[in-house]
Amino acid sequence: MGLMNSNAIKVFKSIPYLLEGVGITLEITVIALALGTVAGLLLALCRVYGGTILHTFALFYSRIIRSLPLLVILFMLYFLGSEVVNIPAFWAVVIGLAIHTSAYQIEIFRGALQSISKGQMEAALALGMSKYQSIFAVILPQSLRRAIPYWANEASIVLKDSSMAYVLGIAELMRRSEYVSARTAQPMLTYIVSGLIYLILTYAFTRSMSKIEVKVKIPGLER
Amino acid sequence: MSKPILRINNLHKKFKDTEVLKGVSLTVDEGEVVVIIGPSGTGKSTLLRCINRLIEPDAGEIYLGDEKIEPGVSNLSKVRQRIGMVFQDFNLFNHLTALQNVAIGPIKVKKMDKKAALKLATQELERVGLADKANSYPAELSGGQKQRVAIARALAMDPEIMLFDEPTSALDPELIGEVLEVMKKLADAGMTMLVVSHEMGFAREAADRIVFLEDGVIVEMGPPEKIFNNPEKERTREFISKIARLHGKAQDVSGADLHD
Repeated sequence: MGLMNSNAIKVFKSIPYLLEGVGITLEITVIALALGTVAGLLLALCRVYGGTILHTFALFYSRIIRSLPLLVILFMLYFLGSEVVNIPAFWAVVIGLAIHTSAYQIEIFRGALQSISKGQMEAALALGMSKYQSIFAVILPQSLRRAIPYWANEASIVLKDSSMAYVLGIAELMRRSEYVSARTAQPMLTYIVSGLIYLILTYAFTRSMSKIEVKVKIPGLER
Repeated sequence: MSKPILRINNLHKKFKDTEVLKGVSLTVDEGEVVVIIGPSGTGKSTLLRCINRLIEPDAGEIYLGDEKIEPGVSNLSKVRQRIGMVFQDFNLFNHLTALQNVAIGPIKVKKMDKKAALKLATQELERVGLADKANSYPAELSGGQKQRVAIARALAMDPEIMLFDEPTSALDPELIGEVLEVMKKLADAGMTMLVVSHEMGFAREAADRIVFLEDGVIVEMGPPEKIFNNPEKERTREFISKIARLHGKAQDVSGADLHD
């Protein structure tokens, strides 16, 4: 056997084709993450500081979504789409991922908000700040810093979960890997290559988040 | 000459089944320094927190000047601006420098121009002797320094009365003096103060009146000489001798090592 058979070479020649899929993977990830973070943070604020209605809504939203498999959410959106309004597969995936991650992010931000001592809010109120001012000027700047490592973890899960888009036929990295694997009859090698690509993406992301974490650290503070 | 700044009338507060305040009435005049003493769990902190409505009382009235403090009727933010509060645990904003901690009130609440607020904050830090720590974060300060920044933060709002909730209880003994000295200076400058503290030295030197609170009622109040040396109630005498043993006799505050 030579160093590499011709099918193996075909796998490597397909790398540019796989990398085009990375673009779509990143598009899905970034949009879903942005939507999911905004929703997760707003719902966490509702959960911690909202009145009964907002609090209860956030609580049940989080519980229900977290008990559904991502695939079920994606299929529900996609087929609900085909029956009521036509949601393109790309947007079904983006919205599905955003809903899924938002539920987990509620818990991340809730924990971060609640980890700030009650005295911080009291001191802000005692100065005459409104509740909104206290939250935005005092509580959030501290709790967002604390949330960074947990949020980064969730974000890398979203990046990897974007591979689920393949079930709806979107030509992102995972779907393209499947094509290459079928064409070259080299599934093992193909998935090692796409696995490496996911690894590089995730590593680069978590590294930059750690850098940010250090950069915004409050001097002297342990946590 | 003396007009009342704060009038508390028949204040009641219950937590679940425990009645913490059972009808407390107290008037604090302009420029007066009133020190509240009493065993822990007798409602001293609750009383202070009811004044600026961090805790909502069940019954009773509180007047700040001529204005009755009523949630929903009076603007709570406006009322709180007029009342400075210093906490046992300092509660400095951890993500802000000492200077920013002092400036944030005027900026956010009074909508003061940022430059003017920072200038004011610098002056307030000078007043508590911490101008050199302006750019330090709370986690980089000692407990005593933190509490002095917290005092400066409250002063920056130019309050009519200052509430101190056990301001030295969380401090190491050697750091207490610097905080008491700042408070003493404030008192000498004519600030109206309502202080929960067991620092006998401070009480003897700075207080115009001592209030002994126990089980949610005022047992006795009067000038320090009377309360410390010749109280009317036996219970007051017992308590005074107990804290004198714990916190030392009422010695001179100014004798302590005050400067850093």
